[in-house]
Amino acid sequence: MEKRILPERPGWRDEAARLGFSFADMDGQPYWDETSAYCFTLSEIEDRIEAPSTELHQMCRAAAERILGEEQLLRRLHVPAEHWDLLAESWRQGEPELYGRLDLAYDGQGPALLLEYNADTPTALYESASYQWLWFEQQQAAGVLGADCDQFNSIHESLVARWAEICAPGEDVHFAADSSNPEDYATVETLAWAAREAGLGAHFTDLAQIGLTSDGQFADGQSRVIGTLFKLYPWEDMLRDSYAEHLVGSGTRYIEPPWKAVVSNKGLLPVLWQMFPGHPNLLPAFFAEDVEQALTGGQPAAHVAAAFDAARDRLARGHVTKPIYSREGAGVTLHRPGQPPLCHADDSYSHHPMIVQALAPLPDFGGFHPVLGSWIVGQHCCGLGLREDTSPITHNLSRFKPHFIEG
Amino acid sequence: MTTTRHRKRSRHVALVLAGTATLALAACEDERVDARSFPDLESCIAASKDNSLWFTEQDCRQNFAAAQQEHLETAPRYESKELCEQQHGVGNCGSDPAAQQGGGGFSFMPLLVGYMMGSMLSRGGGIFSQPMVRTADGRFATPKGDQSFATNNGAGKVASSTFNRAPATIGKPPMTAAQVQSRGGFGASATSRNPGRSLGG
Repeated sequence: MEKRILPERPGWRDEAARLGFSFADMDGQPYWDETSAYCFTLSEIEDRIEAPSTELHQMCRAAAERILGEEQLLRRLHVPAEHWDLLAESWRQGEPELYGRLDLAYDGQGPALLLEYNADTPTALYESASYQWLWFEQQQAAGVLGADCDQFNSIHESLVARWAEICAPGEDVHFAADSSNPEDYATVETLAWAAREAGLGAHFTDLAQIGLTSDGQFADGQSRVIGTLFKLYPWEDMLRDSYAEHLVGSGTRYIEPPWKAVVSNKGLLPVLWQMFPGHPNLLPAFFAEDVEQALTGGQPAAHVAAAFDAARDRLARGHVTKPIYSREGAGVTLHRPGQPPLCHADDSYSHHPMIVQALAPLPDFGGFHPVLGSWIVGQHCCGLGLREDTSPITHNLSRFKPHFIEG
Repeated sequence: MTTTRHRKRSRHVALVLAGTATLALAACEDERVDARSFPDLESCIAASKDNSLWFTEQDCRQNFAAAQQEHLETAPRYESKELCEQQHGVGNCGSDPAAQQGGGGFSFMPLLVGYMMGSMLSRGGGIFSQPMVRTADGRFATPKGDQSFATNNGAGKVASSTFNRAPATIGKPPMTAAQVQSRGGFGASATSRNPGRSLGG
């Protein structure tokens, strides 16, 4: 893994505007940044990122099974009890997943470490699957990148194949998002083009416009019945909205399926550590209420005492607290020995239960800390998108960086 | 340990973010798109010199390579040359380069006789391609066989075909106009309320 300074493509901003990539700059700051790019070897991609990511997704599936079978865990993940059956049933039926993004800390030396799994509503998909690809093709055509270079990015093709796998030919899929948010909309549009390419009907509806029909079905903004609904809207919110009581009766098929609620929840992380202690791609993690006192010299909860003792030194070198529900770094606090805690300014999620995770310090490349987003489509890792930030907590103003494979 | 490098990136992607209105509208039309077919790469490159067209030499090269690959991956395989020729005409079949040496089995396939490129707004922009093979009645078809054409060297509009099958739901089939009694029951929830923030992450 290296960071390479590269010439920018002449006129890329105009092209971004022409393509509708309207958020290449956000709040006056660059978001898409091609003044440099990250470079990996093929074996690094395949052995350190792709294979471990595919394995991590399988581990998350195993954790989903465990959580859905244990009321005590469902409670700790704050899943409303009235919806346990909806989640468990969707798992029992084997409802297929579409996509997700694992966020990994990787420094080019040690193993990639799972920070969290955005398994329900990951964004930055257009940047990863499309715009980054265009950057690569154009830079290669211009001779900036060598003819034998490549990019870990079969996201679009994998999405097309997955849609064809999980839907009937010609199935009509509604895509719901907040249309006033260009990032969210770009993500559903990227998914919708792939669905169209797979021969499906793709129809957009604004999330807030979804209605309930007199038959108890859901309908789109034009009052057309929704059969299959892709929603860029988190399950933890769906389950608490006023339409939550109609989720089952409507007969709607949801993508992501309801069981994803338990793997897109950071309560997944302590469960993974419990099931796969010491796994090289996992960081020690606990529910905060089990270890809060132990972190300040007291005793851990009895059922995690041995695991906590084994991880004590690692946690003492630095740890992070995160709310079980949060997006884009909100509510995250860094605790490092001899330094005051570092909080993310946005604490809008902090009223939720917390987890504690050992700190994986992000590597420093010229003052920037990259986080790897490895994309899972279906059950396989198929691509990579990097974001970097000057702050050690990646948030929604971090920069997206292209990558390529060389050697 | 790899002998041939396996390509790690897509052959094409959807590039255009059209915005809500376009996505909603495009779904309702049986769209027809500009298409060009060529017997080989050279004739595509020759045509691309005319700058008024929607494709460049680079597009020719990229899409020809993609069509070649797609032909290898998707062309129908037959047990014998005779069977293949029944479907694709005499002289239009060859052996499968991907078949195991001397393995027998399904090792004959129609020859690649050209490719077709389409300018696809309905797929988020960009150019898509399909390989072309002969049919028994002397026409040219894509390997799926669902579209056939009189020539492998022409221009025209091609339908991006869609099939509509309604999955069963408890009430009316999807896309049926229905009586809506309320709206806005999704989106108000409160695991976090931070206006203007992405609902994803």
